[in-house]
Amino acid sequence: MKAKDFRSTLEPVWCTGCGDFGVLKGLTLALADLEIAPERLAVISGIGCSSRLPGYTRSYAFNSIHGRALPIASGLKFARPEITTIVVGGDGDGFSIGLGHIPHAIRRNVDLTYAVLDNGIYGLTKGQASPTSSEEFKRDRGLAGVEERPLNPLLLVLSSGCGFVARTHAGNLPHVREMFRAAIEYPGFSFLHVLAGCVTYQGPSYAETIYQRCDMLPADHDPTDLSNAMEIVRQERFALGVIYRRPPEKGAGIGERDLAAAAGVWPAVGTPEAAREMPGE
Amino acid sequence: MKPPASAPAPAAPAHSGPGAGTPHSLVLALVGSGGDGVALLGDLVLGMAARQGLYGMMVQSYGPQIRGGESAAIVRLADSEVLYEGDQVDLLLCFRLRDLKRFQGALHLHSGSVVVMDREEGGDPPEWLGRTVEPPFRFPFARFEDGIEVEGPPKNMLGLGLLCRVLGWPQTLAEDALRRRFGHRRERLQANLESLATGLAVEKFPARPAPLGKGTGLFAETGNEAIARGAIAAGLKFFAGYPITPSSEVMETLIEELPAAGGRVVQAEDEIAAMGMVLGASFGGVPSMTATSGPGLSLMTEMIGLSSMAELPAIIVDCQRAGPATGMPSRTEQSDLNHAVYGGHGDFPRAVLGVFDVVHGRDIMYRAMLLAERYQLPVLVLSDAYIAQRRQIRDAETTQRPAPQRERWTEASGPARFDLTAADGVNAFRVPGDPGGTYLAAGIEHNQEGFPTADTTTHHRMNQKRFRKLEGIASETRDWFRTLGKDGAPRGIVAWGSEYGLLREWTAAHPDYRVFLPEIIHPFPLEAFETWRRGLESMAVVEMNFQGQFHRYLSSLTDLRGVRRVTRSGGTPMTAAELDRYLTEATA
Repeated sequence: MKAKDFRSTLEPVWCTGCGDFGVLKGLTLALADLEIAPERLAVISGIGCSSRLPGYTRSYAFNSIHGRALPIASGLKFARPEITTIVVGGDGDGFSIGLGHIPHAIRRNVDLTYAVLDNGIYGLTKGQASPTSSEEFKRDRGLAGVEERPLNPLLLVLSSGCGFVARTHAGNLPHVREMFRAAIEYPGFSFLHVLAGCVTYQGPSYAETIYQRCDMLPADHDPTDLSNAMEIVRQERFALGVIYRRPPEKGAGIGERDLAAAAGVWPAVGTPEAAREMPGE
Repeated sequence: MKPPASAPAPAAPAHSGPGAGTPHSLVLALVGSGGDGVALLGDLVLGMAARQGLYGMMVQSYGPQIRGGESAAIVRLADSEVLYEGDQVDLLLCFRLRDLKRFQGALHLHSGSVVVMDREEGGDPPEWLGRTVEPPFRFPFARFEDGIEVEGPPKNMLGLGLLCRVLGWPQTLAEDALRRRFGHRRERLQANLESLATGLAVEKFPARPAPLGKGTGLFAETGNEAIARGAIAAGLKFFAGYPITPSSEVMETLIEELPAAGGRVVQAEDEIAAMGMVLGASFGGVPSMTATSGPGLSLMTEMIGLSSMAELPAIIVDCQRAGPATGMPSRTEQSDLNHAVYGGHGDFPRAVLGVFDVVHGRDIMYRAMLLAERYQLPVLVLSDAYIAQRRQIRDAETTQRPAPQRERWTEASGPARFDLTAADGVNAFRVPGDPGGTYLAAGIEHNQEGFPTADTTTHHRMNQKRFRKLEGIASETRDWFRTLGKDGAPRGIVAWGSEYGLLREWTAAHPDYRVFLPEIIHPFPLEAFETWRRGLESMAVVEMNFQGQFHRYLSSLTDLRGVRRVTRSGGTPMTAAELDRYLTEATA
């Protein structure tokens, strides 16, 4: 199969030079690599520039409402587990209005791939600050929330127990393709952070500037080490690659305590001993 | 009038009038503190009644505290089906007098009522309850040491024994009920059987024999259980919800019963996610629903618009409670009508159904599924706390059949998912997995292929197409209503939802009244209503909310000049005495 087998007839409305083009290309290349039949594929989004992406794919696509792609995709996956389900969206859609859904989709370990195309700006509504905009940028542009620190999305998903966490840069097409392939192949919830440029509101050199802050993970990186993964995502520079990959769970849940700890499944307050008699019985 | 062809075979004709006269009934009020187990006691009494073929219903009332607050169960036992708890209490069993205070205004005795209270407590029942001829019967429920109450035998089991003597029920009936309930916990069963025997050993007691049952066992369920089971029978395969009073038991019942029917239940992180999951599953071609109450409905509203816009079937059950905001979560009201019919931004079609009682809960889910799947739009089902959490004895389960599912797309269906010319505005549904059927579903306005557009003409034509669904529904549901009373009766009442229970008894006692109740509120069965109202000398709209939402809605559809408004805020259900007063006082 070829990448174009996964493209619809619709032409993207994105600005010339938008990072989202690279993501669309990398995704369709990965889908061709994996030979997923378009009718067995669902691409689901909320609202935003990058959320237009499903319409450009040949798939059962759903461009829903702002911030709610994850619950919709989860419902589809619960009802139709055989459908390969990919969620795409931006940093505003995912980390602002839709943030509350992320830890819960991770807790349920819904077998879908969530790619956030993070350009640190609201593009569709013309240049407001997003939860990942830097303080300097907001001050410089006179945007709201100068005092608000940016969110670290990778630390958030790791601490929620996400089994697959990777990062890529929209300008590196072979890497985008490789990361999408690895994320889609992972059985369980996979999170892909895609650094993307917004040529209009971040400026034409932004993508390159961000790329200069990126390093490929070293060849000997151990993606099963959760503590190390959490160290990496706290660094000033952006590590690209599969930062964390928990061995896929066998069966319904995580049984062994050691494995649970390694997986970022934290001690729970509810214990079997607490399940006492019901009142009134 | 014959029932609609699409409806399941109901136990009784769809427009059946009341039974012969007012039922012979006995109303018990059981009052205690949370933890005294009055709810369990009421449940056992109701179960024992059903076992003997006696009809009845139970409603619960509880304090704002989760546990430790005052709690009451009202059980009405009757020789025919009852859908209304009655105006006056015949037998009040109260474990602690001070617990009565919270129920001031809700409990009324008559001169022949019996009061059973604790022997040690002393004091007399408060004046507001009403005077009884017989003095209270005092029984040692509580155990005291040095004037302080200590743990003793379970009061509710002592009460059960005592009630068996008062009602004239055999000991074996109670023992069987306890064995069924506690058979898996031997020690508990033994302790309960001993306390039961203590209660039964009472010597002098006021006799208030229960009406006689018909001998064959009947079946008790709550409105929420009926909704859940009706949905399963109609073909439900996916449910997502979030806990909220008074709807949670819909989800709880489905957690137990839907997997066996091949379906799946998810408890979502909030109502927005619940509704999102429902739409995702429906996008996957699977019949899906959620259940909630007012605050949850508010959160779901944006997504209900998406359901209509993206043409994804969805059922939303709203168990109404007194609002707005948090309001009174455990109290009933009919105040979400405006929201159900009008709520949401932009223009979009939806259907709104109303539930009459527990038995109707199953039937209404068939109808909801039929409309959602056939017309690919959101269907709201309005229940309320009075139906949702009432346990009602009913005739054995009626046979139900699955509702027809959405028409599935094939290559022959044509290239456009949203073909503007489709009959009734409905196009064949493309199910993920079907080769060649890939398309874009969107909340963004779209053209026939599903691709985004901001073209004014397309937007208008799409609205026309989507709203054509309502014409199809109106035609299909023209006889989805019930009437009560005789055709020629001069006075008319129009009402909806749980008012049905009260009005059924009202018309049996007041032959000068006839009643019209829509089963589908939107689109409203207007033709039938206009036919029904012919020859009326007077008419009143009866509903339970402050603004008179139903009256306003009806007046947007037809001429209501001279039609009176009988409405008050929710809380406790309307009584016959209240209705009598309101009908006299009401103005147009």
